[in-house]
Amino acid sequence: MSRKVVITGLGSISALGHNTDDFWNALRNGRCGINPFQNIATDRLKVSIAAEVTAFYPEQHIPPKELPLFDRFSQFAYVAAKEAIADASLTEAQLTRAAVILGTCLGAEHTYDESYHCLYAEGKSRVHPLTAPKGMPSAAASQVSMQFGIKGPVFAVCSACSSAAHAIIQGHTMIQSGLVDVAIAGGSEAPLSLVLIKSFEGLRALSNDTCRPFSEDRSGLVLGEGAGMVVMESMDHASKRGANVYAELAGFGMSSDAGHITAPSVDGIAAAIGSALDHAGVSASEVDYINAHGTGTQANDIAETAAINKVFGHHASKLAVSSTKSMHGHTLGAAGGIELIATIRAIQDKVIPPTANFTKAGEGCDLDYVPNSAREMEVNVALSNSFAFGGLNAVLVVRSLA
Amino acid sequence: MSDQILSSVVAAIAKQKRIDHDLITANSLLEELGVTSLDAITIVFDIEEEFDIEVPGDLLENLKSVQDIVDGITELTSAN
Repeated sequence: MSRKVVITGLGSISALGHNTDDFWNALRNGRCGINPFQNIATDRLKVSIAAEVTAFYPEQHIPPKELPLFDRFSQFAYVAAKEAIADASLTEAQLTRAAVILGTCLGAEHTYDESYHCLYAEGKSRVHPLTAPKGMPSAAASQVSMQFGIKGPVFAVCSACSSAAHAIIQGHTMIQSGLVDVAIAGGSEAPLSLVLIKSFEGLRALSNDTCRPFSEDRSGLVLGEGAGMVVMESMDHASKRGANVYAELAGFGMSSDAGHITAPSVDGIAAAIGSALDHAGVSASEVDYINAHGTGTQANDIAETAAINKVFGHHASKLAVSSTKSMHGHTLGAAGGIELIATIRAIQDKVIPPTANFTKAGEGCDLDYVPNSAREMEVNVALSNSFAFGGLNAVLVVRSLA
Repeated sequence: MSDQILSSVVAAIAKQKRIDHDLITANSLLEELGVTSLDAITIVFDIEEEFDIEVPGDLLENLKSVQDIVDGITELTSAN
């Protein structure tokens, strides 16, 4: 049994804006959302930049009575889900039977950070009583379910920086198997706590310059926050209700390196891309664009480039490959959702967003990275790559239905 | 002291339920104010923080009115 799965709603919040039109306009104009920290004291940090969500007032979005139960990552998930659901024009009855699958790498980082602070820094003997229900990694998925009356399968998916992509894949399989007609899937992350930034500093993974994926002088990733959620449904269901269809989520590939906890594996990445093409039934030569994982670390960008060369052979030089992390930062467990939305809008608007902050191609980085300026180009088939610490790879294949 | 406790309890309930202080009196029933069990533990947490007391769990189970909270806290603070 094979049911086509299509995307009918997009919702996002990121350093580039609180909605998807603002996000996309920034991307196509090559505007970088990486700036000096605004919401965190920098006196103990080695880095001073991030892709923060700014001018965000949760009380303008979340029902005030509910707000005490919303960690920042749940706030982002709610805002993105609300936009996606409105964009898809889903009715109450259609929502009731839908699924919510939400990826997150960290969950409610801020809630636990505050409670640890109470215990260890202030020496208190109690933490806020809502710490557990606000702090559980599935809290955002539950809040989306509760606020929109979604009563089908609802849960969170956790696979570090591939979390959102794995969540979207889970939604795809549920629809394809006939378990549900509609799934709201993606990811949310609010990682800018002192401990998380310090953790990445400790790994020496953070850039204090900016994010320059694939460039010779790249110096690491830049953390970002936000959420990206999509509404997916079976083609039949979308057609029957006359929904606006963005594109087909044609297939996916997953692999695990079973190798190193941080170092990427060319073979592992290539296996995920290869199985994504097989699953979608597209040949390598049909692919026009890859929204790369492209973190801006030395290791990722070389391995990802080598894997693309390995899978695509001669066609690799004809591909457009860009990393939008250069503009919205690395949003960890939200990355696969935010970047799928960028990929879908590229197909819809026939514009490939650039790799911003690009200087000169780094050693081992020999692809067309669409440097600094967007490119008008017809995109029929595109991939969105997500790779994660622990070697967990997930690749999504999007196909134009135009 | 009990006036201060009452006004603190009213403030904590008003904050948690986002309702006007004037709608809350000592005789108000928590159920009528829409105070759920999750609201109650949050309200009691605010009071514990303000008065530096520890409210035992079994005390929470018998709270019916605003006055019940005030009485419980009065007892705990005078024990200190």
